[in-house]
Amino acid sequence: MGVPVSAFSELTAEEQVKGTPFAHLSVELGHLYMEDYQVGPDRLREQFGQVAPWLETARKGWRGLVPGGRARISTCFLIDDYFSRFSTPREVIPMILAAAGESDLTIDYLARESACAQANGIPLATLVHDRLVRDPPPDTRGWRPPNDETGWLANGPRSPQQDSGQAMKAPQPWAPPAQNAKRGQSIFVDVELWTGDGADRVWSCPFLAAVWQLLRLGLLRHDGDLPVLPVQWEGGFPASWEALPPVIKLNHSAAPFSAYATMSVLSTRFLQVELAVRTILSQVSVDEVVLKQVTSRSLDEDLMLKEELVDRISYVFL
Amino acid sequence: MLVIGEIRTGLLQNAGEIPDPDYQRVLHVRHGERVLLSRRPIVYGVAPYQLIGVDCRLPSATGSRPRGIGTVMARTSLTSGRVLQGSSHVRIVRGEAGYRLPWSHYLARPGMIETLGKFKPADVADGFLSSAGIGGQLDLGSVSEHMMDLAQDCDALDRRAPFRSERTRLRWAATPGDPDIHFTLGVGGERTVRVSHPGDFSAAIVALCEDLALHDWLLTTLLSLVGRARIGVAPRTEVLARLAPAADALLHLWMPAARTERCLQPLWESLERTPGFTRQWTSLAQRVRDQIALGVLPLLSEANG
Repeated sequence: MGVPVSAFSELTAEEQVKGTPFAHLSVELGHLYMEDYQVGPDRLREQFGQVAPWLETARKGWRGLVPGGRARISTCFLIDDYFSRFSTPREVIPMILAAAGESDLTIDYLARESACAQANGIPLATLVHDRLVRDPPPDTRGWRPPNDETGWLANGPRSPQQDSGQAMKAPQPWAPPAQNAKRGQSIFVDVELWTGDGADRVWSCPFLAAVWQLLRLGLLRHDGDLPVLPVQWEGGFPASWEALPPVIKLNHSAAPFSAYATMSVLSTRFLQVELAVRTILSQVSVDEVVLKQVTSRSLDEDLMLKEELVDRISYVFL
Repeated sequence: MLVIGEIRTGLLQNAGEIPDPDYQRVLHVRHGERVLLSRRPIVYGVAPYQLIGVDCRLPSATGSRPRGIGTVMARTSLTSGRVLQGSSHVRIVRGEAGYRLPWSHYLARPGMIETLGKFKPADVADGFLSSAGIGGQLDLGSVSEHMMDLAQDCDALDRRAPFRSERTRLRWAATPGDPDIHFTLGVGGERTVRVSHPGDFSAAIVALCEDLALHDWLLTTLLSLVGRARIGVAPRTEVLARLAPAADALLHLWMPAARTERCLQPLWESLERTPGFTRQWTSLAQRVRDQIALGVLPLLSEANG
């Protein structure tokens, strides 16, 4: 008899990361802020009318990419209940669904923006913030104490600060900031991520939008689990936003909420915000196990995903 | 292909061994993450890796110092609630672009540095292993040191270490080749290890180097404590006062290769033949126990009148 090979393992010593089913593409059909709501349902109808042909274009494109031509595309819509509270789900959601219906659009998933800050007791925004790996300026050799305002994130070194404490020194001439990965000229971007501390923390719109993209891409985990799972919703809507789960599923036969790639159709007034989102997302590190999980799933379907996560996000600006 | 790393090892600044539930706080895990804790054959907790971005010159023996951009992997671990390690490492590969790419490119390849232009792995390895104190280049030590400081700053610690001790610094370089290991003891707390491994690099090699660093620290620290006790010179009570904390804190921690993968165990075994880590430890530990036994004798004869 040969020497037995003993096997011993400990559950607490093993990393357990849950998987999730994936759609091919998640299409955001729009989002509702207070100023849009105040204008009335006509604005929404107009927006949905503009979005509809782009959803069809996306479907055609993915049918060509996917073996067998069966693309799994899910749609979503985001309502702001973080920056301002207006009206109630009971009033607002049927209005949104009716306006979408007039352009033959089905909203599969509806999400509350506050979910991107905190959902089911999980501080999602803090979780993503912990995973920022800042873009290092040239000659960054290792770890050094952060010398900048930690509520901001840039894509390169800022202009050197005037040393206000040294009144006797001659003022330094202004020097420009720089984009680390510039090609020729710089496009320097500095994004405010949050204001306030502790209970007074308010996350910025671009930061929450970055969390939103990561949720749609199925890349976030909390203790190895998906932090937010859509809840199938039936019947009437509650009278308060708190009574509505962070993400609800309205269409029984919808493709999964998480997708390999996302597409958002937005007004050009959001171009700056989305540049800020891209700046943030290009400095977020996703758990390697999760990245490998997604890659492995896509390879099982003979799909090659873009390597960089920012390249899995596309836009139509109207 | 080349992977280099640096491990700092030291005593957790706490009077006693911290209990299992405190590992999560002390090892400074991020929201939504969990320390991976194993209890057999010795309690060992390790936090998930974090990434630190770098863009700098790389060490080199010939002075060529290629520029590299990417992310260093860093993590902290704690053994038996007592011995803390900050460990960082990075794989160095030649980049395809001759210029710096957007940061998202490097984040899609965690734990890798891409050089701008060619580099010679042997040159960078030699430069790294011989480069204590040279500035202006990749500084893995600052990353490992930072990981340790984060843990030592935890307010769950009482900052009353049982005895004075030094941190050791172990730099290592791994290249493909026939299985081989070379451990060099430097001055002060400096050590270097060269590993050559068949096949692809794996996490097991990092774990091996961390285990070597841990046991080298235990040996170094016990040697220092025994040296400071001035056995045969100072009065016995003074000797025992110096050695008792070692007996309390260290003697039960010696467990080489507890988590080393089977295929790498021959590398540990070769170091057990020369210089013989366990041989030296056993002798030292026995010496400590002998002093304690000798210290008991006068008390016994007093008791017997």
